[in-house]
Amino acid sequence: MIINRVTLLGHKDHGKSTLIGSMLITTRSVSEERIAEAKSQSKKLGRKFEPGFILDSFSEERKGGLTIDTSRAQVKYRDSAFEFIDVPGHEELIKNMISGASYAKFALLIVSANKDEGIRPQTKRHIYLSRMLGIDKLIVAVNKMDTVGYSKDRFERIRKELSEFLEKIGVESRSVHFVPISAYGSENLSKKSPNMHWYKGKPLLELMREMAKKKAGDSSDGNMRVILQGSMPHEQDSLLIGSVASGTIKVGGKIKVLPINFNSKVAALFVKGVKKKTANVSENVAIKLARQVTGDSKGSVVYDAAFKGAKNTRNIGALVFIVKKIKGQVRIKFNGIELSGKVSINKLIDTTTGFEIGPRSAQQLNAAIVDIKLDRDIPAEPFTSSRELGRFVIYQGDKFSGIGIINSVGKR
Amino acid sequence: MIKQDINELEERSIFVIREAKSKFKNVAALWSMGKDSTTMLAIARKAFLGKVPFPVIHIDNGIDFPETYKFREDLARKWKLDLMVVDSEVKPDLSGAACCGANKSIALKKVMEKYGFDALIVSIRRDEHGIRAKERYVSPRDRNFKWNYKNQPAEMWNDYSSSLDSKGHVRIHPLLDFNEIDIWQYIKKNKVPINPLYFSRNGLRYRSLGCTHCTTAIKSGARNVDDIIKELETTGIEERSGRDQDKEKEYVMQKLRALGYM
Ligand SMILES: Nc1nc2c(ncn2[C@@H]2O[C@H](COP(=O)(O)OP(=O)(O)OP(=O)(O)O)[C@@H](O)[C@H]2O)c(=O)[nH]1
Ligand SMILES: [Mg+2]
Repeated sequence: MIINRVTLLGHKDHGKSTLIGSMLITTRSVSEERIAEAKSQSKKLGRKFEPGFILDSFSEERKGGLTIDTSRAQVKYRDSAFEFIDVPGHEELIKNMISGASYAKFALLIVSANKDEGIRPQTKRHIYLSRMLGIDKLIVAVNKMDTVGYSKDRFERIRKELSEFLEKIGVESRSVHFVPISAYGSENLSKKSPNMHWYKGKPLLELMREMAKKKAGDSSDGNMRVILQGSMPHEQDSLLIGSVASGTIKVGGKIKVLPINFNSKVAALFVKGVKKKTANVSENVAIKLARQVTGDSKGSVVYDAAFKGAKNTRNIGALVFIVKKIKGQVRIKFNGIELSGKVSINKLIDTTTGFEIGPRSAQQLNAAIVDIKLDRDIPAEPFTSSRELGRFVIYQGDKFSGIGIINSVGKR
Repeated sequence: MIKQDINELEERSIFVIREAKSKFKNVAALWSMGKDSTTMLAIARKAFLGKVPFPVIHIDNGIDFPETYKFREDLARKWKLDLMVVDSEVKPDLSGAACCGANKSIALKKVMEKYGFDALIVSIRRDEHGIRAKERYVSPRDRNFKWNYKNQPAEMWNDYSSSLDSKGHVRIHPLLDFNEIDIWQYIKKNKVPINPLYFSRNGLRYRSLGCTHCTTAIKSGARNVDDIIKELETTGIEERSGRDQDKEKEYVMQKLRALGYM
């Protein structure tokens, strides 16, 4: 089956893990043994049964009542299948949140309707971040409706406030479904809840099923890009190995390899150990060129020789989500290689409002428009032309400090 | 159990195995002769055009099943594997967790040190256990094999950045995304040779293989791969329920993994 990867989003304690746990139980996607284990451990800690414990498996997570690291669980519903990516909502664990969310195609945002909870900074940050990651499909579940007497008013107020934020960061809020649920009570998950007759929409799993059926927009321009991992010996030759990020590579095609500026022709291709005439997007390939590349090819990219969009650059302009303060010299991780770069910040953006903030404001958990000067050439491209070649990870020293989306390449 | 697209799963595994090979200097793999690590080898052969380009280590405590030893010899010859058999002790006073966990880890530590392996391919899957679902594709372990699960490295966009602690190694998990049923789908499609203990004899078969001390057979009439796939489509029982070590005290899996057990 096609598995739709869905990341959870939302502030800590708003019910992300509980929702996945309840989904696993209501759709019978988890064994009795695992449910029993979660039950007995809830009891040992003197708590009511926590369905979230099916995901939160570390003893520290259960004792602390929070998700520390991301995990995944699969659910089958009617003719669709979903892989839920659970992520921590805690601010300090955003590194783990990004590690999980970066694999998703959809997002499911949880906001607790409970009067002490509601929309929090982290609620908005997670949305901001998911947009940066390129996740453009979103459903909002307003949770814990049981704690506010299933109040339509409370639901509508949250919907209104969040819609305003979505519009501000450029999301058409009318295209986003909002659904009132109780994750704990499994209400409005697969069946409509009798406690919320005022809700005229579909239950959550039905909404997800519809979203899964909608065709995703093509994220690439279709030009051939093969990102190389290195080379391997084969008989008398050295073959390049890598994965096709977009387009199709063909035997006989004239190619160029950047940043090493190497031109040749494709002499043979192997996919999964078998000789092929072509290799398509998302296939791993081994390439024999008419002329052998010498030296290290890791992180290089194979393009069609005629493709004009491919060029080497040392200057990139990017939007960065800052996890830890960045300054001066940073390490840039780009397609399996590491570079050194000097970063200058042009503008800071508050990720909870979408507005520009003063240059002296706190960087952490906000976004920035930056210029980065690299120590070497790379074939970077804007994220809008190529997702794979348009994004990078930033470290300062040995600290994971943020992620970046490339807006422009070349000197400005 | 959900059947996934095995093509897609295979592509990711190939990518991860190749990435490990090109990024680390001295890669080795663990091979238990079970279905998962044998499937991993089948994938590695495709990734590297017919050859497994790293040594495969069997931590042998001498009490595996006779079928397992025969299977090891046969396949090692057929696939021209660079097989390293490492002896591990079985202490009579130890059972289950302590046996596999402690003794096999001691033996593994010795061989890792001796040959200076900096990356170890281990064929775990996310659906086996809640703790395994928390793993990264590439995961650092310190020199004492400790897994710092409370602070794992960021991992995204094919950037497996685990900065390597100079004395430690990384675990590579190319099969993390596979479900148990996907392994069998893969075996079927690719005719991967498989240990006969998985098939039913006298109404019993092994679903997960450890050594003769800690594995028990399950009731099953599945005599071939198709039967097993059919059985798994409807089972509500955990794969590792026949393994003693998982059933001992709570959080055993967490403790064992934190200590570097495979
Ligand atoms: N009354 C009620 N309680 C809920 C509901 N959903 C979740 N909870 C409770 O809220 C608490 C927090 O839920 P979690 O699922 O752990 O929250 P989380 O979003 O995963 O939190 P982090 O992992 O820290 O980000 C738990 O005690 C749940 O039982 C609900 O629908 N109704
Ligand atoms: Mg949680």
